[in-house]
Amino acid sequence: MKKKIISSLIFALAIPAFAQQKAEEPPPRWLQGRSEADAKSTLHPFNPKLTGADISDLKISKLKLPAGFSIDVWAEVPNARSLARGTKGTIFVSNLAANDVYAVVEKDGKREVKKILKGLNAPNGIAFMDGTLYVAERTQIKKYENIEDRLDNPPEGVLVVDGIDPTNGPGHFWKYLTVGPDKKLYFNIGSPQNITMPNYVQATIMRVDPKNGRLERYAQGVRNSVGMDFHPVTKKLWFTEHGRDWLGDDIPNDELNVVSKQGENFGYPFCHQGDISDPIYGKYASCDQFTPPALKLGAHVAPLGLHFYTGKQFPAEYKNNLFIARHGSWNRNTKQGYDVMRVVLDGNGKVAKYEPFLTGFLEDEKGDPPMWGRPVDLLVMPDGAMLMSDDYNGIIYKISYKKP
Amino acid sequence: MFFNLKQQQIAPQILGVILLFSPSIHFAANLEAGKEKAKTCVACHGPAGNSNNPEIPSLSGQPAQAISTALFRFREGNRKNPIMSPLAADLTNADMNNLAAYFASEKRTTTHVTSEKNLALGPELANKYNCTQCHGPQLLGLQHIPRIAGQQHQYLITQLRGFKQQTRSDMDGNMSSAAANLSEADIVVLADYIASLADKPAP
Repeated sequence: MKKKIISSLIFALAIPAFAQQKAEEPPPRWLQGRSEADAKSTLHPFNPKLTGADISDLKISKLKLPAGFSIDVWAEVPNARSLARGTKGTIFVSNLAANDVYAVVEKDGKREVKKILKGLNAPNGIAFMDGTLYVAERTQIKKYENIEDRLDNPPEGVLVVDGIDPTNGPGHFWKYLTVGPDKKLYFNIGSPQNITMPNYVQATIMRVDPKNGRLERYAQGVRNSVGMDFHPVTKKLWFTEHGRDWLGDDIPNDELNVVSKQGENFGYPFCHQGDISDPIYGKYASCDQFTPPALKLGAHVAPLGLHFYTGKQFPAEYKNNLFIARHGSWNRNTKQGYDVMRVVLDGNGKVAKYEPFLTGFLEDEKGDPPMWGRPVDLLVMPDGAMLMSDDYNGIIYKISYKKP
Repeated sequence: MFFNLKQQQIAPQILGVILLFSPSIHFAANLEAGKEKAKTCVACHGPAGNSNNPEIPSLSGQPAQAISTALFRFREGNRKNPIMSPLAADLTNADMNNLAAYFASEKRTTTHVTSEKNLALGPELANKYNCTQCHGPQLLGLQHIPRIAGQQHQYLITQLRGFKQQTRSDMDGNMSSAAANLSEADIVVLADYIASLADKPAP
């Protein structure tokens, strides 16, 4: 009798397992939504040169900026991603493909690069507030108090929040982190795949109060955002968002968005760029239910860091302009991006102008690879110069202005 | 839309950068220095990086960036292996670039022979599971994407199982995602077929 029960149990368990095998298996996350027409595509993602570039190989002379601006190599940091500045002048640099956080300090006129944290899990997100460095890893955010006085002997990280990698899946697991005017931490939880129905905390911008670890959903319908900044006057959150892949070379546009109220929905996976209904999920909702982008940034340009220019070194017309680092993506036969764009807003906070600021990383739009460098994040320095990280070469550049 | 900004070419001005603690001081890759440094590697990875041990990967004929990426990730602790982690621990970025240049310049020899059955099944599986999309039509790799054609048989099986179980380090999640749907039987067929591929177009 006992034997019979066990064998029928095995039988009962075996049926769903068998059924699962028979069912159509989902494609890998980066191929979700690829059409038959693209089935032979050999487009592939690019990865950084983790061992760094030879400085003499950097094609700095190919870079172009408006008159009066110049760009120099400022520091070498492997896989340099997000940038944050401590109040005592330390520049913190994260990486994604390795597992470290670096600090760049200037002492007696010399610049020093120190690895201060290691053994982290995809620590792409960093932010600094009130003496404390916050680091967003794949699954958690930790804080390192009084860090600038302890760079040579950093403290153990203290947990702020965990459980922020809800699927433990292979897609969009890295975080961008910034501090809001409310002293809360803002970060993305990306969609786990190219195009899929997200759960409650996926495809969102979340915020957490570092005082008590309370987590809230701040914006939803955001496929993945790897760049956020607050407008210096309106204090609204502006963010970049990567559009889905495999709808073609020219759609959908990646987006520049602005959050007007908590909980706002930006459309993913139902609607892209404010006006394109998704071929799979579009039937469940209409584009007019969602907040459209403030600006369409171009298709497959991979916008990452964005920052409002609050310095005094650049000409007066740059005040409160928005700079956007476009990493350039792989899912386009003719590549674009790999530059820094300038966005001018009018008195009502609407986009008035969108134009190239720094170009020249893209060498051959049909090349493989097409570029020799990839902008990631931006940081305005106290003297008004702007730092820019390039994860492909592991370089931080400094962009300065001098009246011609 | 507004792409009419006047731009001017700016002169390069590279400032001296002091890097006291950074491991990223580097020079143009030096093949001879790489060959010298490789004496430790070839003890296990075989002459000129052509492994004759099914468990140990061949390094010859890999794209340089694939080798430097793997070494970097061993050193930084992203990828862990009881033998490779300590060996990579003391390598500088320059060492890694030199080793990468050296092994990339060597020719892969392939000795593995697959069964007729797997030779017939392999190409379809390599296409079905999207191997060819990134590793290339002949699976020779490019940039950071390793050459798998002619790679050691048991090594391929171990890596694919690791990616499927998400225990193998994966920089961007793409391999874990690609391997998620692989059955154990397909892993064995694919590895057997791919290991047999020499420097010629996949059939």
